[in-house]
Amino acid sequence: MDTVFVSIFIILAGGTAALFLSSRFVLMQRIMVGATTLGSIAGLHFALTHLLDDGPVATATFAWLHIFDLSFTADSISLFFLLPIFLIPPLALIYSLHYFTDSKKNLRVAVNYFFTAVLIASMPLVVTASNMISFALSWEIMSIASFFLVLFDYQNEEKRKAGYLYLIFVQGGAMFLFAAFALIYRHTGSFDFSAVSSMPDSGKLLVFILALIGFGSKAGLFPLHIWMPSTYSAAPSHLPGIMSGVMAKMGIYGILRIYLLLDAPTSVFGNVVLICGILTGIFGVVYALVRQNIKELLAYSSMENIGIILIGLGIGMLGADEGNQAMAFFGFAGALLHLFNHSVFKSLLFMGAGAIEQQTGTNSIEDLGGLLKKMPVTGKTFLVGSTAISGLPPFAGFISEFLIYYGAFQGVDTHRLSFLLAIFAIISLAVIGGLATAVFTKVMGLTFLGAARTKKVEQAKEVKPSMQWVMILLASVCLFIGLVPAPFIHTAFAGLRDISFVSSYNAQSFLTVVQQISETTMLFVLLILALVMLRQFLYLNKRIRWAGTWGCGFTKPTVRMQYTGASYADDMVNFFKWLTPVTRLYSGITQIFPRRATWHMQSEDTALMNYERALVRPLYSLVYKLRWIQHGNIQLYISYIIVAVIILLVFFL
Amino acid sequence: MIQLTNTLLALTLLSVLLSLGSDRLVSLIKIMTFQGIIVSLIPLTLLFQEHHGEIGAGNVLIFQAMLIIKGILIPWFLFMALKKVKMRREIEPIIGYHASTFAGLFFILMSTFIADRFFQIILNNEHVLLLITAITTLSAGLFLLISRKKAITQVIGYLMMENGIYLLGSTLAKQTHTQYVVEFGVLLDILVAIMIMGIVLHNINSTYDGMDTGDLDSLHDLDSNRSLFHRLKG
Repeated sequence: MDTVFVSIFIILAGGTAALFLSSRFVLMQRIMVGATTLGSIAGLHFALTHLLDDGPVATATFAWLHIFDLSFTADSISLFFLLPIFLIPPLALIYSLHYFTDSKKNLRVAVNYFFTAVLIASMPLVVTASNMISFALSWEIMSIASFFLVLFDYQNEEKRKAGYLYLIFVQGGAMFLFAAFALIYRHTGSFDFSAVSSMPDSGKLLVFILALIGFGSKAGLFPLHIWMPSTYSAAPSHLPGIMSGVMAKMGIYGILRIYLLLDAPTSVFGNVVLICGILTGIFGVVYALVRQNIKELLAYSSMENIGIILIGLGIGMLGADEGNQAMAFFGFAGALLHLFNHSVFKSLLFMGAGAIEQQTGTNSIEDLGGLLKKMPVTGKTFLVGSTAISGLPPFAGFISEFLIYYGAFQGVDTHRLSFLLAIFAIISLAVIGGLATAVFTKVMGLTFLGAARTKKVEQAKEVKPSMQWVMILLASVCLFIGLVPAPFIHTAFAGLRDISFVSSYNAQSFLTVVQQISETTMLFVLLILALVMLRQFLYLNKRIRWAGTWGCGFTKPTVRMQYTGASYADDMVNFFKWLTPVTRLYSGITQIFPRRATWHMQSEDTALMNYERALVRPLYSLVYKLRWIQHGNIQLYISYIIVAVIILLVFFL
Repeated sequence: MIQLTNTLLALTLLSVLLSLGSDRLVSLIKIMTFQGIIVSLIPLTLLFQEHHGEIGAGNVLIFQAMLIIKGILIPWFLFMALKKVKMRREIEPIIGYHASTFAGLFFILMSTFIADRFFQIILNNEHVLLLITAITTLSAGLFLLISRKKAITQVIGYLMMENGIYLLGSTLAKQTHTQYVVEFGVLLDILVAIMIMGIVLHNINSTYDGMDTGDLDSLHDLDSNRSLFHRLKG
């Protein structure tokens, strides 16, 4: 455990040093990156060695304020969650070396680095906390630190609003968590996590639902996701990678942890999680389909992936409930592996989006186009990320989704509700995967192919090397997991070691399947390489003529003769219009020689609309009626206090 | 020794009544200085009474600090602030001076009732007078806050409340210096508040042409165009 604390200390020291070195911009950046990298390597080393060795569980306890104990335990699940926590942030910070280039904003960048360090340092504490006090403490530190990260461009009102929305959801979620903890404490009289299972079964369901809402608001569960698009587009581009890729996973960790602690007396837990996962996944991918801003689209795609992870967890819980060890094992393992993979390719994609924004000043795919030629590295790594997130071989996403499918198919021979749910999960996974492919072909096609739609995009150049190398590294991790999945799957299996009801399952037979998958994908990749070489060979010594993209034989093609995001998605959006209401504005063509015609598609997030209709407006009209209380007269305010004190004295003493 | 304590308590009560009835700011600050010194002496007499004259170095240090802050630093800051804004009287109090003095008498009665009713069991009649003085000072401080408009009188109200809290702490705690940590914290808060108030007073004075806190409510948020909802809606 000490190693983790040392690495946290190093990271925090880097962040604090950044505050003091803000006047020396480059030095500050290097120290921050160096400290985080050093600390993260130490942390990764700890997590990997303990995860793969079958050693004793590491623990640590500190007394706090004389009354409370802060205790931390790193069991196998915690250790597995430590991997993305220590892997992604240093890479994101290296990316920030050339992303933060404006040395006039040095103080702001320093503060940003400080809170990034706090955020990174709090996450290992969240996953290792083993009583409610330490968990709540680290959870709050994490939430508050990330709130300050979103406020980087605090002068921009849009972004400030995004920050406030995020804060409302984060603190609202924390309130539900505290309610759950309070219920547990009331039943057990202990803050320790190990006492949770001793509470009576009747209270467990309520605790679980409260915790699911609390953790779900962090993870982006439908309908608690509405902060995600605005928050992820407001933060500087290397941070959504950390926030979506790693911090949102803390919500998943919480759901898994509270499930394991409660020791699930009924099958309701699994069913609820599975249905939540299905809803989150489908809504996420459909919303992603209609968005035209890359970062917002990626935010919704995070929601979709959270859905997939929850489906995995749900299948695991169903399996545990049915006593079907294989189903439980592969469900949980798939969820864990997908969570790791998602943190890799989602941060890759956000970094790609950040690179595009830095070069072109926009993130709207309706304005981009033809970037593959101008930004080859960004384009190719983004392609890798897109393929991986769509769950296609030979990349990472395929392996983890395969595990979840495998787990779900193990559930087909059970009966009743579980059977139906397993089938339903398989179908929704297929729907989500298909639509995700559509979403990312849309992004890839419109952003990187075709021709540039604006001047600014035309002049875009490739980003600086530090950003390129990080993206290349993440893309190769994606490819490597896809080609040689065995060690990663093995690590995910090791993560399940301390879940009692699956630890005895022997997955040797599955590893041979993995071996076959690996060989096939290798063959596939070799085939592609061979075809590329063949093509090069055949084109040798031939004259190659270059022409404009989408020229299509027109004598004067313009960039407006291209597919747009709206037109590409139109058919699919039509199919799902019962999920997401779409308004289309079409000016129509009336004359023989038509004037300028416009067509505009706009979609709303149903959850957001309903919040406004059912929650914000009634609340506001109620609150507005009480406005007279706030009149600005300080003497009367003090009188309020006195009246309150007198009432308390009279009635409660 | 008990006689001395009671004499000091009586003086405190007198100073409370005087401060409620005084209309000149300079005399008000003088009364508060007097009250501060008396109040910080009270625990010392209690200490003598309980430990028969044996006081530790820590106690001496903390009581000295109290005395210096309450008797010298705070009055000094207040006089400085007063000199800066050139204000002599509290004009137009919300509740008049005679009525305030009368209210002060009422507070004494009320405190006697509260002390008798609620704290009889805890205190065994030992420090009942102390408790009465504490509650009276506390409520008189609150009363000053409500009934006066000038920012400087508000600060003095807080100061008097702090004196009350200090006495209340002395009543309920055994007299050792570790028990005074909370009171000391409150005192430091007040000290800082007074220092800041000196600056704020000056600014209010130059912005609003007077140091009436009533003018400050033009800063509040009732304007419907600027409400939270509209800001969230954008």
